[in-house]
Amino acid sequence: MLARAWSVAALLAATAFAVGARADDAAVERGKAVLQASGGCTCHTDVKGGGAPLAGGRPLKTPFGVFYSSNITPDRETGIGAWSDADFLRAMREGVAPDGSSYFPTFPYTSFTGMSDADLLDLKAYLFSLPPVRRQKTAPDALPPFSWRISAWAWQLLFFSPQRFAPDPAKSASWNRGAYLSTAVAHCGECHTPRNLAGALDRSRWMSGSEEGPEGQLAPNLTPDADTGLGHWTRTDLVWFLQTASKPDGDDSTGLMKEVIDEGYTHVPEADLEAISEYFESLAPVRNDALAEKYEAEQDAP
Amino acid sequence: MGERSILRRAALAFVTAALLTAGHAHAQTDAAKADQGALKYRQSLMEAIGGDMGALSNLLKYGLTVPGAAVTHAEGIASHAKLVSAAFERKVIDGPTDAEPAIWEKPEEYKKVVQTFETESAKLVEVAKTGDPAALGVQLKATGKACGGCHDDYRKPKEESFHRKGGGHED
Repeated sequence: MLARAWSVAALLAATAFAVGARADDAAVERGKAVLQASGGCTCHTDVKGGGAPLAGGRPLKTPFGVFYSSNITPDRETGIGAWSDADFLRAMREGVAPDGSSYFPTFPYTSFTGMSDADLLDLKAYLFSLPPVRRQKTAPDALPPFSWRISAWAWQLLFFSPQRFAPDPAKSASWNRGAYLSTAVAHCGECHTPRNLAGALDRSRWMSGSEEGPEGQLAPNLTPDADTGLGHWTRTDLVWFLQTASKPDGDDSTGLMKEVIDEGYTHVPEADLEAISEYFESLAPVRNDALAEKYEAEQDAP
Repeated sequence: MGERSILRRAALAFVTAALLTAGHAHAQTDAAKADQGALKYRQSLMEAIGGDMGALSNLLKYGLTVPGAAVTHAEGIASHAKLVSAAFERKVIDGPTDAEPAIWEKPEEYKKVVQTFETESAKLVEVAKTGDPAALGVQLKATGKACGGCHDDYRKPKEESFHRKGGGHED
């Protein structure tokens, strides 16, 4: 009798374990899709320096100095392996580290703040399923006060308030999906929106392109402006571009954009890419005078 | 030696010098012209490849059926790919060009990426002949990646680019 009770208990325990494992597997799978929709988190991989995937250390040049991305592998000491769910949610949406210090806005929590609990916890499950890599963080090459964490705190006080994505009931479900993906998960605006002198996104010129994109790259205007934006791109063109890195004129994309396509957007379901395109099509066209001048200067060159 | 002969000698020297100078100037013009020609040809070659890449993309992304088109454009890319090496043989880095000096500074590495492009575009023709659009999409992507193999390291980034006609800024 006792033996039988034991075997029943063992069976129950095994079943519970299996169900738990399955749920975890599903979360890991979904989390992988979240990571891909975010562009693959390639800023956390030092590609040129031959660093391990997601172990950080990639130099991120900004007008305030060079910052190095952090290790987001589940190493307990040098990565995020010891983080709780709450730690992860707070870092991603509020820009605050588990020790209470503020992150510099090179980490785009300013966009991730729009993300849902479900997507973030799935993302965490995926990151925690990867092999831990030991790599100590690299201090920024920036002059004080920009190298001080207290500056990040002050910056947040002035320029940042956490804000979850709120669907617009007047718009279609696909538009809302596209807006959520573009503004929060894929964080397009971080590169494609010009910044003010303090490095905060200039929301009056949302997605209208930036001369000083990441790694010194020019980030094009994604609004449907005919001269300086995507006015001549069809929705099909943009979906295809995000799948293949191939532009309508047959040229290929290079630099960070190609990286985020290869590691991320190319794996995103077509319906989501359609939704993203629907969102960009719906933006008011903004003419980017700085980019227009740059293009004109190129035309005047011999 | 008479006055006349001195004058004649001076005249001869003058004419010789004039001819030499003109010849030199002429030679310089030739070199500059050859440089210009190299740039122009390289750019039209790249535009031709881009044109076929764009056409092939349009067939696929809009699901068009134009009989023979996929193979024709793929062949266009593959045959133009074979001209790239020769087109970039002459080192011209001054003037309106996006070519990086690395092409001539690291010729072995450069050769390899051009070779990859030739291989991938040859495969593109084979896949186009099968008439399977899904497989063609995959190989088109591989070919685009091979384009990037060269553009990443040997072409100036677009913010340093001289003007490229026709929506070069529409990234």
